[in-house]
Amino acid sequence: MFMLEKAMIGSRRYWGWLAFLLVLIALGGVCYLRQLRYGLIVTGLSRDVTWGLYIAQFTFFVGVAASAVMVVLPYYLHDVRQFQKITILGELLAVSSVTMCMLFILVDMGQPARVLNVLRYPTLHSLMFWDMVSLGGYLALNAVISVVMLSAERNGVPAPRWIKPVAILSIPWAVSIHTVTAFLYSGLPGRTFWLTAILAPRFLASAFASGPALLILLCLLLRRLTSFDAGQEAIRKLGVIVAYAMSISVFFVLLELFTVFYSRIPEEMEHFRFLFVGLEGQRHLVPWMWSSVAAASVALVLLLVPRLRERDTVLAAASVLVFVSLWIEKGLGLIVGGFVPSPLGSVTRYSPTAPEWTIVLGVWAIGALMITVFYKITVSVREVR
Amino acid sequence: MPRWGMVIDLAKCTACQACTVACQTENNVPCVPPKEAARGRIISWISVLPQIEGEYPRLSMRPTPLPCVHCDNPPCIRVCPVQATAINPEGVVRQIYARCIGCRYCTNACPYTRRMFNWYKPEFPGEFTEALNPDVSVRPKGVVEKCTLCHHRLQKARDEARAAKRELAEGDYVPACVEICPAGAMYFGDLEDHNSTVAALARSRRAFKPLEELGTHPKVIYLAQGEWSGGDGQGPRT
Repeated sequence: MFMLEKAMIGSRRYWGWLAFLLVLIALGGVCYLRQLRYGLIVTGLSRDVTWGLYIAQFTFFVGVAASAVMVVLPYYLHDVRQFQKITILGELLAVSSVTMCMLFILVDMGQPARVLNVLRYPTLHSLMFWDMVSLGGYLALNAVISVVMLSAERNGVPAPRWIKPVAILSIPWAVSIHTVTAFLYSGLPGRTFWLTAILAPRFLASAFASGPALLILLCLLLRRLTSFDAGQEAIRKLGVIVAYAMSISVFFVLLELFTVFYSRIPEEMEHFRFLFVGLEGQRHLVPWMWSSVAAASVALVLLLVPRLRERDTVLAAASVLVFVSLWIEKGLGLIVGGFVPSPLGSVTRYSPTAPEWTIVLGVWAIGALMITVFYKITVSVREVR
Repeated sequence: MPRWGMVIDLAKCTACQACTVACQTENNVPCVPPKEAARGRIISWISVLPQIEGEYPRLSMRPTPLPCVHCDNPPCIRVCPVQATAINPEGVVRQIYARCIGCRYCTNACPYTRRMFNWYKPEFPGEFTEALNPDVSVRPKGVVEKCTLCHHRLQKARDEARAAKRELAEGDYVPACVEICPAGAMYFGDLEDHNSTVAALARSRRAFKPLEELGTHPKVIYLAQGEWSGGDGQGPRT
């Protein structure tokens, strides 16, 4: 079924890696059971910072799911042949990251057993309902596309013709997942940090950078560890995409900073003050945010100079920097920064607890496990041929 | 159809916190131990906020009791993915605990931060169990709760009025916080009824609505302090 048998044969290194991930998943599971029993009291969340690491990770990994669209769009709409071998890698990465997103939502819920209430009481005026629709749809689209493409490849037959319109449908659908996720935040009165129309474009730009950045790293890793080579041209093209997307992402952040600091509206500025210099003695996010700035700046230099970007080691380093920088910006600062100060002006410290980190680690491990198994199957199918 | 609303006279409030305690006992709001309180897990449907104005040494503190303001245009209802919160025809914003999935989206949408999440299973140590109000359900962990304007009191008052074969009169139904206020700073009634005390006070020149600019149309209305009560940080004028 789904060619899973191909994932059952592997080297000791492969099995060792899977075992390691399973241990992490088990640890996360144990902590999650604790959370189920005692409630979200095991986290560092509080009345004023009600969403933290979980929701921030959800937000970030929605972005990573853009790995699919950034190879599917050039391949299907612009006939970029070099991406033929890696469209499936992008789609499978999207499947894994959207699954992670859903898990992050689930672990954040106070009453996870009631999750199906979202279907029992479909609420068209709630953005969370639409987020479920768009994420669920994107997951289904990418799962179907990758299974069909891979089966065709295994059987040595051309893919069925109907798969092309499905793949093309996944392109606007990808835009929707980032837009709707941004709308979750940007429509709340009193939350000035998020109440900005640039949030959706920012989500798109950062997604188009972080998704392909991870894809580059995975391609380079596959080349080193397996017989699969994505091709130098494909990797270079991905590098160009990351360079553009990262520049636009940084540009959008600067636009936001201009509006906030030129208007000098205090409540707009305070969130950025909290993140970058600290507010009322709370400075714990300051080193993180400046690390993000530093990583983004170095990454931009490495990416924008073609001679640098074309070297694999440099591209790998730049991709790591892009990923880390955006992880901090979106997976930490954007969510926590929106809560501090609260609409009533209180400044609260939020630091994730050990169980919270362990649960997050467990979900990451589930994502990594999915990617490993999916890529293993893909590489095995191609090795046979 | 009445539209229930509250008027709080900030010039009269002494920040004694009686409203907070009355609400706590009336609505089975759990006591949070100091450790969790320090971590921001307090649940209190009404809080007396110290609104601080100015900078040291010229500053003033204006205690402001803040319950759910029962917006006519509530952002919390808009965002809830399971319709676990709704506004009834009389303008009361309520929460369906049995349906809430605990996503806390409403908590974040509320600009007044008046929605409280149950971070753990509420505890009522020792005699507190005996003191629980049988008219109000105790919430499970993992759901959001909020001020109901003591809705159970309205139901009771309606029943009593019906038994006595008369209409509900002003003062029959008053939430616990308003009832207890020793300074008489809180008023409650039907904003729709032109002759009610709250409707008259809401027309006062001192009346203002919290965060009115957000378009939420709150039904908790404040009366500003007069200059005599030290609002400028200089103390009373002589």
